[in-house]
Amino acid sequence: MIRTKWGSLVLAVIVTAVLVLSACSKNEGNNASPSASAPETPAASTSAAESEAASPSPAENLDPLGKYEPGIGLSTIRHTNSGMKFLNGDTIDSNIYTKSYESELGIKVTNKWVVDDTQYAQKLNVSIVSGDLPDFFEVDPKQLQTLIDGDQLADLMEAYEKYASELTKKIWGGINDGKLDTALSKGKLVALPINGGQTDDPDFIWIRQDWLDNLGLQGPKTMDDVLNIAKAFATQDPDKNNKNDTFGLNMNKNIWDGYSGITGFLNGYGAYAYNPTNQSGTSTFWIKDASGKLVFADIQPEVKVALGKLQELFKAKAISPEWATMDGTKASEFETSGKVGMHFGQFWNANWPLADMKKVNPKSEWSIFPLVSADGSAAKVQSLGYRPNRFIVVNKSVGNPEAIIKLLNYFMEKNYGETRNEDYHIVTQGEEQVNTFPYAAIGGSYADTNQNDYALVQEALKTNDPSTLNPTAKGYYDNILAYRGGDLGQWWVEKVFGNQSTYEALAKYKSDPNNYVYNEFYGSPTATMSERGSTLKDMEATVFTKIIMGAASIDEFDKFVADWKSQGGDAITQEVNDWYSKR
Amino acid sequence: MNRLFRLKEMPLHVMLLPGVLFVLLFAYGPMVGIVIAFQKFSPTKGLFGSEWIGFDNFTYVFGLPNTLNVIRNTIVIAVMKMVGGIVFPVMMALLLNEIRARFYKRFVQTIIYLPHFLSWVILSGILWDVLSPSSGIVNDMVGWLGFEKINFLGNENWFPFVLTGTDIWKEFGFGTIVYLAALTGINPALYEAAVIDGASRWQQTWKITLPGLAPIIILLTTLSLGNVLNAGFEQVFNLYGPVVYSTGDILDTYVYRLGLVDFQFGVATAIGLFKSAVSLVLISCSYLLAYRLANYRIF
Repeated sequence: MIRTKWGSLVLAVIVTAVLVLSACSKNEGNNASPSASAPETPAASTSAAESEAASPSPAENLDPLGKYEPGIGLSTIRHTNSGMKFLNGDTIDSNIYTKSYESELGIKVTNKWVVDDTQYAQKLNVSIVSGDLPDFFEVDPKQLQTLIDGDQLADLMEAYEKYASELTKKIWGGINDGKLDTALSKGKLVALPINGGQTDDPDFIWIRQDWLDNLGLQGPKTMDDVLNIAKAFATQDPDKNNKNDTFGLNMNKNIWDGYSGITGFLNGYGAYAYNPTNQSGTSTFWIKDASGKLVFADIQPEVKVALGKLQELFKAKAISPEWATMDGTKASEFETSGKVGMHFGQFWNANWPLADMKKVNPKSEWSIFPLVSADGSAAKVQSLGYRPNRFIVVNKSVGNPEAIIKLLNYFMEKNYGETRNEDYHIVTQGEEQVNTFPYAAIGGSYADTNQNDYALVQEALKTNDPSTLNPTAKGYYDNILAYRGGDLGQWWVEKVFGNQSTYEALAKYKSDPNNYVYNEFYGSPTATMSERGSTLKDMEATVFTKIIMGAASIDEFDKFVADWKSQGGDAITQEVNDWYSKR
Repeated sequence: MNRLFRLKEMPLHVMLLPGVLFVLLFAYGPMVGIVIAFQKFSPTKGLFGSEWIGFDNFTYVFGLPNTLNVIRNTIVIAVMKMVGGIVFPVMMALLLNEIRARFYKRFVQTIIYLPHFLSWVILSGILWDVLSPSSGIVNDMVGWLGFEKINFLGNENWFPFVLTGTDIWKEFGFGTIVYLAALTGINPALYEAAVIDGASRWQQTWKITLPGLAPIIILLTTLSLGNVLNAGFEQVFNLYGPVVYSTGDILDTYVYRLGLVDFQFGVATAIGLFKSAVSLVLISCSYLLAYRLANYRIF
């Protein structure tokens, strides 16, 4: 009897030991992986060590694309989205970029984790809290500020000066020419802004041309025309199916969305509100008032006017009663199924969500109209992309920060340099176009790449001579010809780069810098902004949504303005203006 | 004898070890993080390097205009769910108990149990379609009855009821099984005696079945008291939007937005700690009640 008891005791001990040991070994594995950042090149020192002091190692190789021998490892983290396609066998962990990094630069880039776009910020916040940071990674302005405060970031000044290639410097500029100076902190270059300088992101009015034709209507010249078209679409059976089942204007519950948001509508009334619900309460938009002071765009009287007009449309049943519960995906299904004939959105809307609609319903046709204003003069459009809001930062613990500059050089070289190769940009696989450039761990572009490609494509279409086109533009050119030859799957390329396309409209916006309204505040989030931003953002989203739905009277806007000011807004305004005067 | 007794127990203790370690690591270990509630927490400075600010986070949170409203929403929604989560399964169990066809009884039991296994991420998509004013079947029925169609998910008056209703729908099959099990424990002799005395079906239910269920009903009710501040993060998060913040925003979603979207860890932890403190008091009370009313003890 006792023997069997002993037997079970032994068994229990073994089971427990196995469990505990396996847990331990797992931990070791986890601890081991991030240490990949190699200490092989101690010479490439950190921060302050001034240039001459660091030079005793004469073998220091300043080649911007020089290979590490032996190779080094760098860890990062990535975000993907459902629109991201991969070539056969490729993944975000293993693709043309990761392979080339390793074979040509001697840098093995590994992803500690990969999540969907929508969860990246939250997951990264968790990583920052737990101190489990990779060697280099992408952050937003608020995360950047937190990391600066915690002194967690490597100074990239020396690495950039020494290792950035001519091409990289041409595209990104020197330390003080506009782009990089948004990432300076106390004389250190603490990050690389990977966007900014872009002016491609204003809204357009997207209207179903076939519905306009059915009703004998013209495109809008003023905001009143927009309202009338929306109402006509809702009441006059534009799809000719003898059912009252259509709506005029599509919206979704994220009212600041680049697809079916309200930004373009507001711009039409000279209103430039922006305070997205899915970002931290510090992503706000500030404009200059008549006295030259910065004011919060969302509390200006023009916003009230625009919200009132949206409420009018909602009450006239020109906006779906369900819009406030629909996210962007639901709204897109609603639109591509032919229930709604107009939305405000950015240039890429042709690609998503409208790209497949033409295939399903060849009779549908979308026209793109530049934003119009209330009095018929040219509307000023709002651009957020002009100020960088995404940055790549390098962990202070990384021994060779210049490796990140090399990765950047490599991207620039393969996309814009002499050894430019379309395999690193867009590849055609079967009938699909696969974008390979987003695989790069660090990228960036000429602010006007697409615009320049548009001009090239237009020229080639006129002369029927594609020989001068770069590989990217050649791809667009071929696809436009394919569309004109009957391949409806390429419809969106025509809409973005062809005739009456979004870039044609953007060229008009860009023809005069005065057409644009930029965010005048691009410092790091102020103290009160960080503290109160969340509450103020919730309040704004609720009030705006309710006003549009008619659940609150338009006069609630005045109460919102008063509340915003008293609950921290006045302090924020003061801080923002302090920054502005010291800038 | 004593020695032998201990030896016999040893394997059991050893087998308990992983579980105890697990609880220590994942339940007691993270409690150190409570200090964040009293700090101006900066992630990069860490738990012990951040500035100590006492109760400032609490004064700040309870000074925010939304907080009291959020607490009210949480309690209202949680209490409605608790009440519905008792009444409906009991009713269902009583009804099923009356069914003679065993196959049909099992069939119904399985069907109503199924939603319990679906996640709210999936269900929210389904519910959106089902409840939609333009294309949803629920609103079609509302329309047939001659009422104005209702925007269930976009109307702040309806939203808490939608949350409650869908939660009950999802979970009542699970509760039903518990009560059905309790029903089998009632002595059949009681029913036979009642029949001989001429009791009707209804009288039997009222005088025998319900009193027989009473201990388990009281027990489950009191134990659920600890959840008064848990209104179901996953469900609300997948269904809400700014338009229903005023009645649908609960403590957990509020903490999520403050902490993970807006980076205010100190504040979020302060709310979490407040919630834990209230829950601890309630659980202690419910344990006492369970002991008094249903003679249920853990220790």
